[in-house]
Amino acid sequence: MSLLRLDGITRRFGGLVALDNVSLEIPGQGLSAVIGPNGAGKTTLFNMISGFRPPSEGRVHFDGADITGQPPETIARRGLIRTFQLVQLFEDLTVLENVKIGCHLHTRGGLLAALVPTRAARAEEAAVEAEAWRLLTETGLTAHAHSFAAVLPYGQKRLLEITRALAAKPKLLLLDEPAAGLNRQETDALAALLRRIVESGTAILLIEHDMNLVMNVAEEIAVLDFGRLIARGKPDEIRRNPDVIAAYLGTEEAAHV
Amino acid sequence: MNSFNTIWANGRGNLATWLLWGLAAVFVVYTFASGGYLIAVLQFALIYTVLVTGLNIFMGFTGQVSFGHNAFAAIGGYSSAVLTATYGWEPLPAGLVGLAGALLCALVIGYPVLRLRGHYLAMATLAIGLIVYEVAVQWQSVTQGYMGISGIAPIGIGRFTITSDRGLLVFLMIAAALALLSAAGIRRSRLGRAFVAAAGSEDAARALGIDVARYKLIAFMISAAYAAIAGSLFAHAVGFVSPEVFGLPMVVMSFTMLYVGGIGTIAGPALGAIIISVLPESFRTFKDYQDLAYGAALIVILIYAPRGLASLPELWARWRRRSA
Amino acid sequence: MFNLVAQSVLSGIGIGAVYGLIGIGFCVIYNASGIVNFAQGAFVMLGGMLTNVGMIKLGLPLPLAAIGAIAIVAMLGVVLERIVVRPLWNRGSTMFVMILATLAAQIVVERITQIMAGDQPRTLPVFTDLPPLRLFGFAINFQFLWILGCSALVIILLGLFFSSTKTGKAMRACSINRDAAALQGIRVSRMLALAFALSAALGAFAGILITPTQYTAFNVGVPFAISGFIAAIVGGFGRPLGAFAGGILLGVAQALAIVLLGAAFKNVAALSILLLFLFVRPTGLLGPAK
Repeated sequence: MSLLRLDGITRRFGGLVALDNVSLEIPGQGLSAVIGPNGAGKTTLFNMISGFRPPSEGRVHFDGADITGQPPETIARRGLIRTFQLVQLFEDLTVLENVKIGCHLHTRGGLLAALVPTRAARAEEAAVEAEAWRLLTETGLTAHAHSFAAVLPYGQKRLLEITRALAAKPKLLLLDEPAAGLNRQETDALAALLRRIVESGTAILLIEHDMNLVMNVAEEIAVLDFGRLIARGKPDEIRRNPDVIAAYLGTEEAAHV
Repeated sequence: MNSFNTIWANGRGNLATWLLWGLAAVFVVYTFASGGYLIAVLQFALIYTVLVTGLNIFMGFTGQVSFGHNAFAAIGGYSSAVLTATYGWEPLPAGLVGLAGALLCALVIGYPVLRLRGHYLAMATLAIGLIVYEVAVQWQSVTQGYMGISGIAPIGIGRFTITSDRGLLVFLMIAAALALLSAAGIRRSRLGRAFVAAAGSEDAARALGIDVARYKLIAFMISAAYAAIAGSLFAHAVGFVSPEVFGLPMVVMSFTMLYVGGIGTIAGPALGAIIISVLPESFRTFKDYQDLAYGAALIVILIYAPRGLASLPELWARWRRRSA
Repeated sequence: MFNLVAQSVLSGIGIGAVYGLIGIGFCVIYNASGIVNFAQGAFVMLGGMLTNVGMIKLGLPLPLAAIGAIAIVAMLGVVLERIVVRPLWNRGSTMFVMILATLAAQIVVERITQIMAGDQPRTLPVFTDLPPLRLFGFAINFQFLWILGCSALVIILLGLFFSSTKTGKAMRACSINRDAAALQGIRVSRMLALAFALSAALGAFAGILITPTQYTAFNVGVPFAISGFIAAIVGGFGRPLGAFAGGILLGVAQALAIVLLGAAFKNVAALSILLLFLFVRPTGLLGPAK
């Protein structure tokens, strides 16, 4: 039983076909990845799944429900949480506050809780605080908890975005090129973190350029090229697939495959 | 708006801030002791503290724009004025009617308006303020047009009314303190986090399940409520309302206060309201120059110190570097 | 009744043409910079005001006073650009801050005018002091013809300026792509100052045209600016011709509202049209400029 199912997703921008009849199933555990050269339609695919853009054709099913065309916040409420290729943090807020905002979906308080500190309201606030610290410990950001997100080094910004997404307790975590701009050491740490997340029961769908990371952590890989799904399989199968090699030939990534 | 790395919010006070607070405290004590005209000035500042605090929730926290909050102040002020002066209601129910009216208007108007962005949002809110102004001018049977409504009863419940200037000052201090405390409570809560998330990055907020459109509307309504309360307080404190009281200069003045004090901070609105009320009063012979001064001050602040007093230390450091 | 309606439609077209000119002023600055100048109404007010001062204090004939007023207001436009807009532009302020600062500038100009000229309304003589023409049973006064003629002339001249002069083309290049224009050696910042001068002159001209039929006072600016903005929105922001058409539409709608609902609803009608457009069709009748 798959958690996420795409049925014939097509997306056209004017005359350009960014995605062409993509069908894909993502299981409710483990780490899956979508790879492909630049402009293959990977980020467009993420935008279709997470509700930021509607597909021109096709349906998206998540956790047994048709979520096609639903707004992002509704899809997030169902347990599908994404990150962005260009990191989207709340730059003016502290690291801790960023993570607390991630807890939004699993807390209730409204105006009344804000104005009248009842026991229930204070308990919830304390729980959010504790959860945020737990997650920061998990991802190793506690030292920066009170820094403003804007001043974090790039690698830690990526890490914070993932931490914040985890605070929303996703069933499926969509990561859009989490290793982009990271150095070798940071990428290795990221790989370890992703494995821990998967072990704790959260499924991950990853879009990535960094072949090392993908081959290292992914159990299932789908390959997009010019908006079309050209291959699916285990890392070893993908590595040997002639279509994939052809697609990457002449590109920078070919060296890494 | 780079709002929260400010001295007020994270509690790391510095000399300049404490100095300002000290001056404000001295001023309040002095006013209280000396009485007279300064009391009226401080009352005015406290009423504006309520209004600007509300504006700050919508603009500073949620990162939106409204040039039309004078509309909600007018709805509150005129409800209090008309219901008490013309129909002999008690101040409290009259104020509540004004509050309910402002909330209803904010809901009905906010729904379409908040979908707009940039200059469209600015112009739409400006238009709302102007429409309410026009209605206040033209609906003479109720509002008495340009003449305005005078003889509004002082604040009170039943036979207990606040008639002394000092009594009113204490009452308004409590009102302003409640406004600030509630804003601080909102800022620290889940609700406030949703607001600042919407201001920080709408996409990120939505991806985390925050219904940005809904929270913008909530922030709009909350800030409208503050404005309506400020309008009611004004009607009872001054005993008079007219369209001019709630005109465009009111909008510019409240922005000046917000920017002087520091947009997005908790205490900024109070500090800005006190400074902007007291400064022009200290050279009162130039009464005609007031709006001129507010406008010019606002321009200078926007250019040189967009975070208001919160950017003082930064400006100070730059000046020292240059002179060194 | 029909005659009354038709007659007011006619006068609506006249006022609408003026709104259109103000709307074009918005477009000129917006196209050159992406800034919406909320101080546009100050130019309109100053146009009528300074012409009045020139005639009464200096005893100048109307044409000279008008030309002088337009020149001074154009310079004030550059001053506004230099001391308010440019510093904010340089520090990369948000659009909202820019709007707020220009709105504050509007208040400042208003109050200075009030202090210097008092708050009594002033007016200008009509340009041609003859009884109205009678055509098909309608009374057409000469000021109406002046307004239509002058605005048509201004639009043609503007069209020529943007299509045939080097400076005009450079300004259009800036509106299409500022960075590319800068790479072509166009001095974008000079274009910004020029746009403010042009827009201010347009506003002043509009103010001079309309003042003989109404009056001017320190506080007429904002309503005129709003009307011009509505004209620009209805026409699809950034399209000068659209703004002109939008202005005429607004003028007619307003005139009809006065006849059918009473003069009290003039401004409410205009503002309601604005809100309606913002909610239903924010890109205007013709769609967005680009």
